[in-house]
Amino acid sequence: MKAAVLREQNTPMEIEEVQISKPGPREVLVRPIAAGVCHSDLHFLDGSYPYMLPTILGHESAGIVEEVGKDVTYVKKGDHVITCLSAFCGHCNKCLTGHLSLCQSPEVSRPPEVESRLSIGGETVHQFLNLSSFAELMLIHEHALVKVREDMPMDRAALIGCSTTTGVGAVFHTAGVEPGSIVAVIGCGGVGLAAINGAAIAGASMVIAVDMVDSKLELAKAVGATHTINARSGNAVGEVLELTKGGCDYTFEAIGLKATAEQAFQMLCSGGTATIIGMIPVGTMVELHGVDFLMEKKIQGSNMGSNRFRIDMPRFVDFYLNGKLHLDQMISKHIKLADVNTALHALKSGEEARHVIMFDQ
Amino acid sequence: MATERIKSEITGTVWKILMAEGDAIDVAAEIMILESMKMEIPVESPVAGRIQTILVAPGDAVDEDQDLAIIELD
Ligand SMILES: [Zn+2]
Ligand SMILES: [Zn+2]
Repeated sequence: MKAAVLREQNTPMEIEEVQISKPGPREVLVRPIAAGVCHSDLHFLDGSYPYMLPTILGHESAGIVEEVGKDVTYVKKGDHVITCLSAFCGHCNKCLTGHLSLCQSPEVSRPPEVESRLSIGGETVHQFLNLSSFAELMLIHEHALVKVREDMPMDRAALIGCSTTTGVGAVFHTAGVEPGSIVAVIGCGGVGLAAINGAAIAGASMVIAVDMVDSKLELAKAVGATHTINARSGNAVGEVLELTKGGCDYTFEAIGLKATAEQAFQMLCSGGTATIIGMIPVGTMVELHGVDFLMEKKIQGSNMGSNRFRIDMPRFVDFYLNGKLHLDQMISKHIKLADVNTALHALKSGEEARHVIMFDQ
Repeated sequence: MATERIKSEITGTVWKILMAEGDAIDVAAEIMILESMKMEIPVESPVAGRIQTILVAPGDAVDEDQDLAIIELD
């Protein structure tokens, strides 16, 4: 099968012929139909998060089951599925206490001593987050996918595989936004827009979108923001505090920078909670004013929206199909696998929403 | 002889050790792979030299800033 292989950071991926192994007992071979190009792919491409190379990036996809391993009963050939990087083992402490997205069990990967799922001429290709979706086929653990309705368009479904789940999940699960809350979201990329949409669905009375790009602030309004602030003014914190007359109940940082993480905390009212969704580069420290803790201000991380994706993703599909979740506007372009480098470049420039790779049928 | 302690940047598990004690090592060579939040993260040497000691074994849980290996500098 063909796949976009990353051999060195900050160099273009090349489309190469890659060998994919046969499904093990609990593995599923999926033929992706659509794969989103996500901002987190960039972090691994540019090395702000190290990863073993060569690898095949991509972690936001939807497709059709091609073949299942002998112990798989959950899906069968022909089922429509969304993949998720939060593969869960189902029996560790995290899984059994309901924190499936924090499962760290390595058993959803193949152990290093057996044949790797992906290879080129005998050389291991490291599977990215147990998925690697910039490829014509994906071999994944059965706990890395969820079955979905067949009337759900595949390109929209792909987005649910990462950005929707991350943003809406941060609002619903990590923060637990209550109706009437005042919310601000810093960063209006795919994840930030999903958080804005999630806050609107959760019944927030005020949803303030903060970004430096006007076109993204327009998109934010289209998916549920009640107010927008262009941070180029240099005083986003002041503007939020003034607009809210004292700060937000919940803020969400969806960029992954020290400065914006600190701003998310500064935008809170007493008792408020800042949730950091963005991937802050490894080694970066975040600084807070200690006195703010007297005001019971809180700060927390969120990984993949604290998801229970087998339950969440089919609900998000319903939200889309009944008009609550706005995914149509999130996709700026459909592209071919061969154009993946251009799509990542466009993401980096920050001007555009998401590109979605459509695989040839 | 001067040595450099290689530390983990993250909390995770040792997935695979790629080099052995006594091996010569170049700058940016991968010593081991850590697994954290489903990511395969390489531990690279910032220096050239020889691996004096590997302090962890496959399957070990490691904390951020924990020493993983000691390199004798060239
Ligand atoms: Zn993503
Ligand atoms: Zn688990």
